[in-house]
Amino acid sequence: MIKADLRDTFGEFLVKLGKKNYNVVVLDSDLSYSTRTNKFAKKFPSRFFNMGIAEQNTLGTALGFAISGKIPIVSGFSIFTTGRAWEFIRFACHDNLNVKIITTHSGFVGGDGSTHNALEDLSLMSSLPNLIILIPTDNIELIKMLEFTFDTKNPFYIRLPRGYFPKIHDEDYEFLIGQPDILKDGDDICLIGTGYGTLLALESTPDIEKELKISIKIINLSSVKPINNKTLIKEIKKTSGVVTIEEHNIYCGFGSILARIISENYPMPMKFIGINESFGQSGNREKLLNFYGLNKNKITEQIRNLLLSRKR
Amino acid sequence: MTLSVAEEKRILLDILEIKKDVLKMIFQAQSGHPGGSLSCANIIYLLYNNIMKINREDPQWNKRDIFILSKGHAAPALYAVLSKLGFIKREKLFTLRQFGSDLQGHPVKNPKLGIEISTGSLGMGLSIGVGCALAAKLDNNDRMIYVLLGDGELNEGSIWEAVMAGNHYKLDNLIAIIDRNGIQNDGSTEEIMALEPLAEKWKAFGWEVIETDGSNLREIIQGFERCKNILGRPKVIISYLIKGAEVSFMQHTQKYHGRAPNEEEFTLALKELENIEKNIKRGIIYND
Ligand SMILES: Cc1ncc(C[n+]2csc(CCOP(=O)(O)OP(=O)(O)O)c2C)c(N)n1
Repeated sequence: MIKADLRDTFGEFLVKLGKKNYNVVVLDSDLSYSTRTNKFAKKFPSRFFNMGIAEQNTLGTALGFAISGKIPIVSGFSIFTTGRAWEFIRFACHDNLNVKIITTHSGFVGGDGSTHNALEDLSLMSSLPNLIILIPTDNIELIKMLEFTFDTKNPFYIRLPRGYFPKIHDEDYEFLIGQPDILKDGDDICLIGTGYGTLLALESTPDIEKELKISIKIINLSSVKPINNKTLIKEIKKTSGVVTIEEHNIYCGFGSILARIISENYPMPMKFIGINESFGQSGNREKLLNFYGLNKNKITEQIRNLLLSRKR
Repeated sequence: MTLSVAEEKRILLDILEIKKDVLKMIFQAQSGHPGGSLSCANIIYLLYNNIMKINREDPQWNKRDIFILSKGHAAPALYAVLSKLGFIKREKLFTLRQFGSDLQGHPVKNPKLGIEISTGSLGMGLSIGVGCALAAKLDNNDRMIYVLLGDGELNEGSIWEAVMAGNHYKLDNLIAIIDRNGIQNDGSTEEIMALEPLAEKWKAFGWEVIETDGSNLREIIQGFERCKNILGRPKVIISYLIKGAEVSFMQHTQKYHGRAPNEEEFTLALKELENIEKNIKRGIIYND
């Protein structure tokens, strides 16, 4: 299986973009090696600004660049950028500024532990008007997303993980903002994932289908905001229940957003897979995912619960 | 306080033990921050061993001085010192960063182990120190509050907010220590976000500034003793330390800021520290 570190894809994309668009500037907060903005820094030193360990000032500076006609890209670790600089981001959205926030180390970060995990960033970001929030599953999708991002004058938040992830899309994949990306058709239950959640859905489905003798539909929803309600409802309508999967806290996260849309437009039973009321801890990624319930057994259990509630 | 030669020797050997533990922990975990854990290990040890009022029987003793590791990525150094005091079992050290361990990559509040508060997101520790110092005054508790900061960490605006508050409330029970090793994550502090003239900045903000050679044990201790006698304002010790400490190939470089040594590097690093250890045992002391 071909695997890629999305940070590398991001770093290489920035270099290509920098060659084409002289208005692009990149800002980082002393993490340029980890986020891979160092590649841009090397190629275009005069358009790269290392702002030091100062996330608030980094974002503030980006706002200034944006109102001066530049296209600022802000990178850093997801939790520090979104958490520490939140109100600056709020103002970028308030004034609908063309600021692109693209961060790495989202979800579980590994050994660094609970202080560094980003399991609340979607909650922080998803309430902001005007902001477009995207989470790629693989490097193909990331490239298509980035192309869209730099073709669209808008504030963006793109949440990247750390580590190697398999390729699930073909080169001709078309990224459509707000649209559910149907990875597999099925009649009984619909799994909707974002980021790693989608990968887990894909990985787990064959076994679950066999075990429960059902057919599962898999939707990848990489566009967390906005979401096209109509197409989403159309896609899930024929199934009898939805399970959402995210590498994020389930309180005010991806699943919560979907719950609102679905209960308002086409109420149906739902279950939520994600981190539940925890900051996580240090550890190997597989162990963490397993411990905090992002695993096949948990999905199977939740589908069973959904099927039971349908019979009732 | 004057140190006898025997006492000085014991301290130097203890500090080397701690640095070796730091290397072992990070090597075992295969992730972590060796450069900035080694740089300040001696400061953390001296604080707990010679300067701070603590109760070795009870990490939660309510008269204790408070230590806050604002540069939380130096957690291995803190853990190793707390284990030397007996607050953390030595075997536990080598569970660093593993799933299920109390000893996460960055400190997580754990009063029984002597960890006062979680840190790791840089720029928070001095504000927390201000709160502790104000509370101690309200309670007529004569404890001192020590906050260890990274120099790169001083990029954070919140640090300077706390610097203002420390002066505003005349917090003479608050002592900041800056690990002035000159290197942050992406490069040297002066090339990433220039800090100099650093002493003048703190002076202008109303703090008493003491500068010490961080590799000179006597000077470090004298600096802390001087702090205790200065009343009416907060104090900062700018300690000129070396990123990577005595491990030659980790010195003055960002290369080992956030990267664990491989087997070969680990063996070499341990050997270097062991050689220094041998010399100290033979009576050759590099101090002064
Ligand atoms: C708010 C925040 N931003 C970024 C980081 C990532 N980070 C960890 S250590 C570090 C560099 C710290 O440099 P310095 O304070 O000089 O530490 P030292 O050299 O003493 O290890 C960075 C950027 C962080 N932990 N917290």
